[in-house]
Amino acid sequence: MRKNGRLNTAVLFIVLSLISLVYIIPLLWTAASAIRPAGSIYQYATPLTWETFFPREITADNFIHIFTREDFGIPLANSFIIASATIAFGVIVNSMAGFALARFSFPGKNLVFLLVLITFMVPFESIVIPLYILVEKMGLINTYAALILPAVGNGLAVFLFRQFFAEVPKELLEAGRADGASWPRIYLQILLPLSGPAIVTVMVMMFMFQWNALFWPLVAAYSNRLQVVQVAVASHRLTEETHWAYLFGSALVASLPPMLLFLGLQRFYVRGISKTGIR
Amino acid sequence: MFREAKTGWAFVLPAFLLLCLFKIAPIFVSFAESLQYTGITGEKTFVGAENYLFLFAEDPVFWNSVKVTLVYSLLVNPLVVVTALVLAMLVNVRHKFAVFFRTLYFIPAAISFAVVSVIWGIVLDPYYGLANGFLALLRIPPQPFFASSGQALLSLVFLIIWRSAGYWMIFFLAGLQGIPQEIFEAAEMDGVNRLQRIFRITLPLLARTISFVLVTNTALNFLTFAPVYILTNGGPCGATNILMYESYKSAFVNLDLGRATAISSVLLLIILLFSAVELKITRASFEY
Repeated sequence: MRKNGRLNTAVLFIVLSLISLVYIIPLLWTAASAIRPAGSIYQYATPLTWETFFPREITADNFIHIFTREDFGIPLANSFIIASATIAFGVIVNSMAGFALARFSFPGKNLVFLLVLITFMVPFESIVIPLYILVEKMGLINTYAALILPAVGNGLAVFLFRQFFAEVPKELLEAGRADGASWPRIYLQILLPLSGPAIVTVMVMMFMFQWNALFWPLVAAYSNRLQVVQVAVASHRLTEETHWAYLFGSALVASLPPMLLFLGLQRFYVRGISKTGIR
Repeated sequence: MFREAKTGWAFVLPAFLLLCLFKIAPIFVSFAESLQYTGITGEKTFVGAENYLFLFAEDPVFWNSVKVTLVYSLLVNPLVVVTALVLAMLVNVRHKFAVFFRTLYFIPAAISFAVVSVIWGIVLDPYYGLANGFLALLRIPPQPFFASSGQALLSLVFLIIWRSAGYWMIFFLAGLQGIPQEIFEAAEMDGVNRLQRIFRITLPLLARTISFVLVTNTALNFLTFAPVYILTNGGPCGATNILMYESYKSAFVNLDLGRATAISSVLLLIILLFSAVELKITRASFEY
């Protein structure tokens, strides 16, 4: 019995390792190619050698090039600005709505809640074209607002905050009221400081959404000044003569923030996504 | 509950307005626009169902996209769900290494579709790609992948699985861990073998999760954009020209908003239809 268990574990480990090759190989190759001297990338793809994955010569030239010659810093900064603004507005606006839905009864509440549920079932990509028509009418094409505002109101975030606030003891709020605190004050000084986990979950969710966005920024803000990081990576690939080394470099840089965020805040990320579905 | 209508509305109002403006209004705009014709100068004329009639009656590009979209959807969604389920079952053990593999399988989900497309575009390059390097080791001749109309759609399906299976694995893992251990112990005492355990116990108990993942996946995959935009432009020969991409081209390359919104309305209808059918099938086959 014991021996059988150990054998099973060994087989499982081998199976999992084999599967992981499909994940590790492309990622490792991307990383290796980003630090290899430009021009020698395909040289090591066929035939395969150990140098395919472990470059003999390492250089930072590809990164230096994309930042000094191609202004990759601009799209990076734009994406950081857009993600930060979305998070700042998004946490406030959606947590306020979550608070109202969790704690107050008011006419039209059921309608608002239904609306929240509908919006998180309609995927963003499905409304990009009509959204473009609307945002153009508002005169916001090629502005930061076009990239930030549509992502601020978020049905899923409202829902997460609502669930979270519903579990805060009622006595806490009533005590605040008894002390003569106004509702905005109770929200700011009692509720928000308690809701760290929900806030982090929503922050991670919004950061991932904005940092990885391609379709909407592509159509809503096509000026170079407003280029975001994914559009910059895509355009590296789509230029007439693709410089593979720079493409790998920019892909690696573009992936680092979300990957580090994910590895650092795995707990919150997983909690966020599994709350969306189960039950 | 606090019965303070004014306070309640004050707190909910900003989010309510933003959601109405940027999430709900576009749905109506899309429908309204699909009933109009936009001239070169931007003036709009009401044309009723004409955009739709043209699509259905005399638009072979549209019909090709419908076909490609359906084939793509029927391939990618079951494959993603099965892969995610298998991965979840494999990593659902109490070993330190299971945590490592979970994290690893999930990593692609943290990377954008744009970057994933770039990576696989190069790995699957027909001339110098890494994949052909591996095939050469196995003495298999180089394959064209995205460059051939025969393999492009399959390559796209593979790319989507690679990017998203680990993400949905998390949902199944949560579902698996919610199954009480006693059920398995009881089954073991009754002499149930491993296959029976999976098909008679685990899968029925995961029915709701499976149904959720399948439906959500279907909707999301119908809306695949980045890989098609970056790698194939819908080609070769329309082999990957899914409706989503065709509506994008119609709107932003050919500047025909009427056709574009008509296509996306059709796409939305297909998504709803698929979701309904999938809900029905997954419910029916797991009911006992």
